[in-house]
Amino acid sequence: MTEMFANLSLGFGVALTLKNIALCFVGCLVGTLIGVLPGVGPIATIAMLLPITFGLDPVGALIMLAGIYYGAQYGGSTTAILVNIPGEATAVVTTLDGHQMAKQGRAGVALGTAAIGSFVAGCFATLIIAALGAPLTKLALLFGPAEYFSLMVMGLCFAVVLARGSILKAFCMIMLGLLLSTVGTDLETGQERMTFGFPPLSDGIDFAVLAMGVFGFAEVLRNLENPETRDVVRTKIGRLLPSWEDIKQSIAPCLRGTFIGGTLGILPGNGAVLGPFASYTIEKKLAKDPSRFGRGAIEGVAGPESANNAGAQTAFIPLLTLGIPPNAVMALMVGAMTIHGIIPGPQVMTKNPDLFWGMIASMWIGNLMLLIINLPLVGVWVKLLQVPYRLMFPAILIFCSIGIYSVNNQPVDVAFTALFGLFGYLLIKLGFEPAPMLLGFVLGKLMEEKLRQALIISRGSFMTFIERPISAGLLLVAVAILVIALLPSMSKKRDEVFTE
Amino acid sequence: MSLNKIDAARGWRIRSTQDLAAGLFMIVLAGLALFLSRDLATGTLRQIGPGMLPKAFAWICAGLGALLAFNSLRYNGDKLAGWSWRGVIFVLGAAVVFGLTIRGFEIGPLKVPQLGMLVSGPLVVLISGLAAEDVRLKELVIFAIAMTTGCALLFKYALGLPIPLAPWLLGI
Amino acid sequence: MKTLALGLAAALALALPAQAQSKYPERPITMIVPFAAGGPTDIIARIVSENMSKTLGQQIVVENVAGAGGTTGITRAVTAAPDGYTIAMGHLGTFSAAPATYPGLKYDPINGMQTIGLAGGTPILIVAKKAFAPKDLKEFVAYVKANSDKVNEAHAGVGSVSWTTCTLLKGQLGVPKLNSVAYRGTGPALNDLVSGQVDFMCDQIVSVAEQIKAGTIKAYAVASAERSPALPDVPTTKEAGLPEYQIEAWNGIAAPKGLPKEAVDKLVDALDKALNDETVKKRLLDLGTVLPTKEERTPAGFAALIKRDADKLSPVLSAAPKQ
Repeated sequence: MTEMFANLSLGFGVALTLKNIALCFVGCLVGTLIGVLPGVGPIATIAMLLPITFGLDPVGALIMLAGIYYGAQYGGSTTAILVNIPGEATAVVTTLDGHQMAKQGRAGVALGTAAIGSFVAGCFATLIIAALGAPLTKLALLFGPAEYFSLMVMGLCFAVVLARGSILKAFCMIMLGLLLSTVGTDLETGQERMTFGFPPLSDGIDFAVLAMGVFGFAEVLRNLENPETRDVVRTKIGRLLPSWEDIKQSIAPCLRGTFIGGTLGILPGNGAVLGPFASYTIEKKLAKDPSRFGRGAIEGVAGPESANNAGAQTAFIPLLTLGIPPNAVMALMVGAMTIHGIIPGPQVMTKNPDLFWGMIASMWIGNLMLLIINLPLVGVWVKLLQVPYRLMFPAILIFCSIGIYSVNNQPVDVAFTALFGLFGYLLIKLGFEPAPMLLGFVLGKLMEEKLRQALIISRGSFMTFIERPISAGLLLVAVAILVIALLPSMSKKRDEVFTE
Repeated sequence: MSLNKIDAARGWRIRSTQDLAAGLFMIVLAGLALFLSRDLATGTLRQIGPGMLPKAFAWICAGLGALLAFNSLRYNGDKLAGWSWRGVIFVLGAAVVFGLTIRGFEIGPLKVPQLGMLVSGPLVVLISGLAAEDVRLKELVIFAIAMTTGCALLFKYALGLPIPLAPWLLGI
Repeated sequence: MKTLALGLAAALALALPAQAQSKYPERPITMIVPFAAGGPTDIIARIVSENMSKTLGQQIVVENVAGAGGTTGITRAVTAAPDGYTIAMGHLGTFSAAPATYPGLKYDPINGMQTIGLAGGTPILIVAKKAFAPKDLKEFVAYVKANSDKVNEAHAGVGSVSWTTCTLLKGQLGVPKLNSVAYRGTGPALNDLVSGQVDFMCDQIVSVAEQIKAGTIKAYAVASAERSPALPDVPTTKEAGLPEYQIEAWNGIAAPKGLPKEAVDKLVDALDKALNDETVKKRLLDLGTVLPTKEERTPAGFAALIKRDADKLSPVLSAAPKQ
């Protein structure tokens, strides 16, 4: 314990220099401002801004990048709430209730709840990393391909609960997401799959392209068709910040979300992506009246947003303690560290303690900055909703186009997004919800990879998933979720819940 | 596992055109996927081939689609709603135009030079803006110029992204 | 209005005949890196291009065009106008291995592009999980040959450097059908190697050196002519008894074919100056990079290297089991 405080004070000593505070602030601010552009998610934001940190010293550069990361993440949630465009997989859940709240004139409350929830989650996550970072890495090493596969199966079962309409249609969307995730070059053999022989498809479908199409563009089309619904957003604007009542309602979801998101974030292989989905599932299950979910329930924003932020932070654990990046954002961090001559590895903590603890301290400072930057900005964002829609959607379109182009500098990606916009519009017309499809898509790639790895290692024996205790436990949870969702005695209640 | 048990009336007829269309949509997509993955090896459990999962997912999609279509004959549900081409053409068309002009392209005899963001930006705003029923042209033109200038300053100069501005005019 | 007129005048002045006799380079140069920002090739490109910009007097803008194992970006770069304003930083995979790995490749690295020079070589290491039975490379070779049905090799996906170099190793050991587990990138593969799910892999020194130093994995040998200063205790394949396994994951610069001689000379000179700069040298050496020889810094020397490695890799890669 005393060691932890000694370490933290070393960290705060590094992070609290005027220069580093300024870098953290600038990082958070720039990250928020770029991340809030529709079409620009955290990965794109960090990739874009990576070069501007090259001129700094390593500690300063990483503190600034971490700030950019938090800012971008929060900015992504802002677009999810305001215009229903998730910047990344974890913000998909926020669109469900956050955007509904905005439509009800409660955009300010949703944004405020997201900011406060993220701050609380960030504080706890920082403490967890400081206290348990090193021992928790053992958990990451317990997860082999078999465990991951079972984790993904469990994650897919969450998607069933995400559904707002028919559960059968939710299943359809999950499977469609899985199917879409198999497009592209096969990892194992290098063969092209379902690409029509078209080279830009050989790397598969980009998440940003798919999400921007089926959420962003399709939402624009839906709004153009129903002028009434889009005007609701700008005519009624309620209070800007959450009331005491709202905060009381969000505390428990927020703490549960922090715990779930923080735990999943430690796993390498992007476990953090499951955090918000898991949190949403649990809140919906615990709620007295689950029918409020999908119609602007504040718990549906507070829980997942906390889970998201906690996971974003604990995802640093495998990077800082094992030297192994758990997801694409952390892989960019590896690049940033390497450019500054610090090659991440298991010894970063002992070889560069000032960097390690400085970064952890700056995580907390970054979260505080986010709160300071964002609470006053809530008013500005909400004002943006008053821009007439006839100007708002062309603005969304130009930002989306530039953002998507900039991810890979590939013009064809923009055209693909338009294609998926059409696809998303078709889904709306057919009464499908896109959220389960995106979850299926995100998990599909990992799931196939892990299934094949596990079976190659086990020489084709399915028993590997049951013989390994963690894997078996996860599969049991998955079965339990499915049984609860499908049990005949429950289905009556479910019909009430799921029929609109 | 389905909607509105009360309405599960006797007699077979199309009770939800939306669900029927959705079911057929799933079957068509699954058929397309099966066609595209026909040459991919399925492999064995010991060594799963590239075709095993796509085919498995496609069959499940087809099954779910069939169930959905079947249910549309038994349970009442929503009707298919109308389709608005105006939005599709202008909004999605604007994005396609951006993709085609930002770096230029060549398809057969058709050749578009690399126009860059100073051209593609206003095009996106102008074309997509036409989708709104309450479009005001003068306002839209001013807005297009303002947005493009803002984006050029932000992305090209403040962030230093390698996005072409107007290679035919400025060389960058 | 005045500024607009001035701008137009300036633009016209640029566009008009002045161009014909202008001095290269007169505007920023785009260096395409065919991988995502932050990867090993991107890092080398950024370190080298920063210094080259100073020599050339124009900014070199790094543009990451990722896709299809780097071939998307290289295709765009080498099919661009040969004016010297589009160049690319490719590596072993995109220049030597790609023709054998990607049958529909749209460029010819041997005859269809103008090489500039090598920017740096990255040693390849054979590494294994800590608990793997063989103690040294000789035992490893014997063990893998004897237990080819039990051993699991990990790699970072078809087309990656780790896949390319490991396929070469398996081909030379005569066990091309060894169980191979594909991962999406080096990170996840390394994770499972550290936790002991898989037995061994081959990868670039920059990715594995810290794990070796920390003792979480062990290294059998480095596939270079000399030991790496970053890991002085790891023997070379020659010393350890597998002399034929010689491969390096180099990074080098190429441009479209038909580049004017003036541009080629200036780029070669800028690259050479960058590689002689003390800061650049130190940063590259910190990454475990081997600095190129005088010969390799020339277009002809680099082209010879591409050809040599392509000849070495293509028979093995073409024969690699892809089902």
